[in-house]
This record gives sequence, C-alpha cells and structure tokens, in this order.
Amino acid sequence: MSMSLREGELQVSLPPSVQGRKFDDQTHGLSHCGMKAVDWIIDLPDRVYFVEVKDLDASGATRHADRTKYLNELRAGGKDSDLIAKFRDSFIYQWACGATNKPIIYLVVIACQALDEAMLLHRADELRRKLPSGRPRVWTRAIAKDVLVFNETTWNEQFADMPMERWLSADNA
Amino acid sequence: MSSRPSTTPRPRAELVHGAIARIRLEHFTAFEYLNLTPSPGINVFVGANGTGKTHLMKVAYAACDSAKKKERFADKLTRVFMPAEGKIGRLAKRQRGSTRALAEVKIGGSKVRTNFSSTTTRPQDAQENPPKNAPNVSSVYIPVKEMLANAPGFRSLYAERAIHFEEVYSDLLDRAYLPLQRGAPDAERGRLLNRLRRELGGSILVQDEEFYWNGGRQGKLEFTLLAEGLRKLGLLWLLIQNGVLLEGSVLFWDEPEANLNPTLLAPLVGILLELQRLGVQVFIATHDYVLLKQLDLQKRNDDEVRYHALHRTVDDQLACNSADAYLDIDPNAINEAFGAIYDSEMERSLQRPKRP
Repeated sequence: MSMSLREGELQVSLPPSVQGRKFDDQTHGLSHCGMKAVDWIIDLPDRVYFVEVKDLDASGATRHADRTKYLNELRAGGKDSDLIAKFRDSFIYQWACGATNKPIIYLVVIACQALDEAMLLHRADELRRKLPSGRPRVWTRAIAKDVLVFNETTWNEQFADMPMERWLSADNA
Repeated sequence: MSSRPSTTPRPRAELVHGAIARIRLEHFTAFEYLNLTPSPGINVFVGANGTGKTHLMKVAYAACDSAKKKERFADKLTRVFMPAEGKIGRLAKRQRGSTRALAEVKIGGSKVRTNFSSTTTRPQDAQENPPKNAPNVSSVYIPVKEMLANAPGFRSLYAERAIHFEEVYSDLLDRAYLPLQRGAPDAERGRLLNRLRRELGGSILVQDEEFYWNGGRQGKLEFTLLAEGLRKLGLLWLLIQNGVLLEGSVLFWDEPEANLNPTLLAPLVGILLELQRLGVQVFIATHDYVLLKQLDLQKRNDDEVRYHALHRTVDDQLACNSADAYLDIDPNAINEAFGAIYDSEMERSLQRPKRP
C-alpha cells in the first residue's frame, strides 16, 4: 500500500515499494536536547533521502513580510546553518539507530515559485560546501552523497513517481 | 502605459514627450515585421545571439540622433550600421526579389521614418519626410567594446574616415568629451554622482583627450591601466556629470555586463534604476542572469521596467514578446540555460534518465 507524507499544506505520495516517515514529530524524542531534525526520511532500495520542506507559498499562513524576510535570508545564506544542522543531527540520530548504511541525499524543498533554477543551483552549491558533501581524505565514506534544492515545480519535474501536491484546508481554501 | 509615479514632485509631461514611444520595422535587416512599444523607463532586450537586440537599439539611437541634429535618418542609419560600400539597400531584409524596408521610430509626438528598396544604393535616395517638430532628444549609445581607453586621436582619425568603425563609437566619444558642467549638480544628480564616485573610488578627469581615474592617494591613473569594469562606471559618471544623461534623454547600452565582475552589477543596476527615476529612458541588451535578477530584486513598485524577449518563431521569423514582470519573460533564453544545467545536475546526482 502506498503512503504519503505531509508537511503543512504540502504532501508527497510515495510509490508502493518506497517507505517513508515523518521524522521531526514527537517520535524523534530528542528536541529537548536541542537536536534538530529534517521533516521526512524516505528509504529507497539503493539510497535514503533526507527531506526538509519550507513552504513559502502556503496560503495565508506566511505573512508577506515574513516570506520576504525568509527569502532574503535564504539568498544571503542565513538559512544554511539551520538547514545543515537539521541534516547533521538527523544523520547522528540515524547513525545511532544503525541506519546509515545506504548513501544519503539531502533534498531541500523551498516551495516558492520566485526561486528560479539559477537560485536553486546556487543554494545547492553553497549547502554542498558547508555540509560538506565532499570528504577529507581520511574519511572512508561521505556523510551526504549530495545536496539538491527544489521548488515545488522542479520537485514534480524530477520526481514524477513521488508527486508533491498542495492540500488546502476548508479554512484557507 | 501608466504615467510615472505621482510621488515624484517634478512634472512628467516633458519626459513622456521625449521618450521613444514606438519602434516599427518592416523588412529591415533580419526583421520581417516588428511593432514594439517600449516603456518610458527601462527596457531590457533579451534573446539568443542573432535575434536583433543590437539592431533595434541602433535603429532607435539613429532616429534620436538624426532628429536632434536635423540630419536624414537614412544617412545616420548607414553610418551606424555600416553596410558594405555604404549601400543602404543592404539593410533591407535579404530575400528573393527586391523588397522595401521601413524603419519608423515615434519619439514623443513625432515619427522619424525612412523607407528604401533593397536595390537603393545611396542613403539620400531613401524616401523620408523630415518630421514635423523634430524631437530634440539627447541620446547616448554605449557599445559592447569599451572605447575611452583608446580615445586619444580616435576622433580625428574617424573624421578622416581612416578607420572602419560604426559611428556609435565616435558619437560616444563626442559625448564623453563634453565639458563637465560647472557648479553643483541638482540634489538628485548629486546623489547619483556620489554613489558612482563611491563605487569608482574616485572621479574621472579628461586631459588632452586622455581619460584618467583620479583616486586620491593613488593619484591619476590613465584609463588603459584601469580595470575595464571601472571604465564603464567612469563613463557613466562623465555622462551624468556633463549633462548628457538628464531628464528626457535616452541611454542605449549594449551588454552592460561585458567585462564587468558580477559583483559590480548590483550597483550598476541601482544606478540604472536611479537614472530611470530621474526621467532617463533606458534601453539595454543583455545575456546576463545576474543583471536581470538584480533588476527584478531592486525594482520598486513605481519603477517602469519592461522586458522584450526577442526570439525566432517556428518559421524562423524574428518576433518579440514584451512583458512588465520578470517571471513573464517568454521565452527567457537565459533562464532556459540555467534550466538545462539544473536538469543535468539532477540527472548526475539522482542518476535518472534525462527528461524527454
């Protein structure tokens, strides 16, 4: 049976063969010690996706001023450390669970149509540098195979088998 | 087009009169037919190579300059485009059999217009009527190649026609050599000049036809020793300081990004927007994402910016879609290039087959 993952108004549907879970809910259980968490972990046969979702196009939920502030900070790299902390803490958590055997790819979704592909590419490059997705010579494996940044449209272009949809509640439909 | 912002204290009627209101071409160079309505503010031409961006700007510039100097439009077109042997008929669209070409630029309430056949050789044989109330619009055309460093002696050589250069180069030097205006500039221009001076780290001097950057402790530096990007900002400083770029004037700039570090594009775009707020109509042709994006990010709601996307249709004709919003540029060749890189990166990282 196929499952879906939801974050605010955004929901992604997984194919039947793919397992996924919401990661930053209460079952994580370590927010009291300041550990951060990505929104979803999606487990494929050959890889694991850590997925962080920020929805700036949410209907009415984000005030225009907040959205502009977030975008300006994102462009200036001010959100990178938070995005990286979420990945690293999630990695440590999964390592302690013995669940870091497959390559991990970090997928960051900034649902905002104003972010074009050039800006998504630039953000991904910056996150790669800071995560890091490369590794020093003494490491025998990378902590992240890669980091990719999407908006809602490019996610759906790249993941036709995991479509992302927007669900509006009766209050804001 | 809506009028300029009502918050600006000065009357705008004079500006709208001076602005280029329409460009119409028929069978002219690569264009079969084009009818373009520019913004009175900033106009940005985007499009792949060979889609006519520079041709459009040259036509509009030739119209402004010939009208101001009360010359024939066809003569100016010939000197600006430099068809072989000065044959204006070579500016008609190439096709089987003879054809008639038309170029018409509406400046304020007047039409500057010429038409000629593909078999016309002498520009004086082109048909045109001098426009009634010929518009006296100050204009400047900045070509891609930087000229100020090679300026000394250029104009005298050009006057003897000893060198094969389009007239936009010598016209630009004529304007750059105009004497600096005495006295303090008005407050708005003063702010703009100070902003440019900060970016330049100095000001510009002209002595014996040689341009110098004057940067305080470092003393004078001739333009040949100055970074090309700074020369461009220096040229702008001169044109604002000597009164060429005033309210009602028109600036044409072909690829401002050429030889400019992308970090300098943010202040440059800020200056172009300020010029537009002062009432200068601006035309730029660009291939640069950073310039386009900076314009989109820095533009205020009351700024007038229009994008003109030149492209070839399926039957290989040149066409233009105009849009007032960055996201509405269609087709956007620059974004398409980034889209292709994005796809390639996804393909490499996710190891998925390429999208059909």
